[in-house]
Amino acid sequence: MGALTDEKLGAYINDNFVSSYQKVGTFKIVGNNKQGGNVASYFCSPDGRVLHAVAGPVDAATLLREAKWVVDTVKAANKASGSNGAKFKAYFRTAHADKLKSETGLVVSAVTYDFDDKQDDKDTLTYKDPSGRPLSLKLPPPPIDGPDVKLTDAAFNKLQGKANEAPGARYASCGVGLGKKNVVVNNQAVIDQLLSAHAMMKIESLYGTVFENVLGEKVSTKPVDVTTPFTWVDRQGNKASK
Amino acid sequence: MRLFLILAALVLAVSSASAKEKQGCFGTAVDFVDTPKDAAKQALKEEKLVFVLHVSGYFEDPKLT
Repeated sequence: MGALTDEKLGAYINDNFVSSYQKVGTFKIVGNNKQGGNVASYFCSPDGRVLHAVAGPVDAATLLREAKWVVDTVKAANKASGSNGAKFKAYFRTAHADKLKSETGLVVSAVTYDFDDKQDDKDTLTYKDPSGRPLSLKLPPPPIDGPDVKLTDAAFNKLQGKANEAPGARYASCGVGLGKKNVVVNNQAVIDQLLSAHAMMKIESLYGTVFENVLGEKVSTKPVDVTTPFTWVDRQGNKASK
Repeated sequence: MRLFLILAALVLAVSSASAKEKQGCFGTAVDFVDTPKDAAKQALKEEKLVFVLHVSGYFEDPKLT
């Protein structure tokens, strides 16, 4: 076990969150070996709206840093928005855009308003799996406008170098026409980019995008099964007998 | 009166012990409740946020969690 065995992280999570798990997606069994598998951590409000996420396995320090960011940002958003839900959402999405800018030097425009385009379940054009359930959505991330113009080339390159060392580092294109260029993003940057437009959406609307578009895993079309993910220990942490 | 108090204390002790048993940490430092729905209910009551772990397979790999 890795990050979640860390006592400091565990204490912080237990103090500020109520935790649970779900099994999504599948893994292959080739011969006697299991292949694949991944993890995504979601920090949500009690009504299941996603405030923040961490895609893929990370170390305890990273998960703790992200958990603290959520708690601090929720406090600041509550203070700034009062009891206005729309203001809270706008604050949170802008916070994700700001986080992306400070960590990678990349600018996205936060989408702070959702227009109502709910799918009609009875519409024949609504995509569904063979069992009749709607497929998990693939939400488009907002485009990256480009590097933060306030940064010098050296400062931007330093942030990009740091982004390149994080898990899931890859190129993404930004800008248009002659100004089009490739920049480095990583799993966390793509999550912040995505959440600058889709934070505060229900977890069932987001998990498909995170698992398939960010992590490159295949989400099972079966409903999310609740199961015991830690197969080698029981609930009390004792080693399970085979 | 004293008997009533002793009985009440016993009932409280048993119920808190069974509530504790419901929580599981699966060998991690994090307490997990059974479902995200339960987590949401508890979070609302305790004024906390919800942490949900989505996993796919191969949990024996220590790099995952």
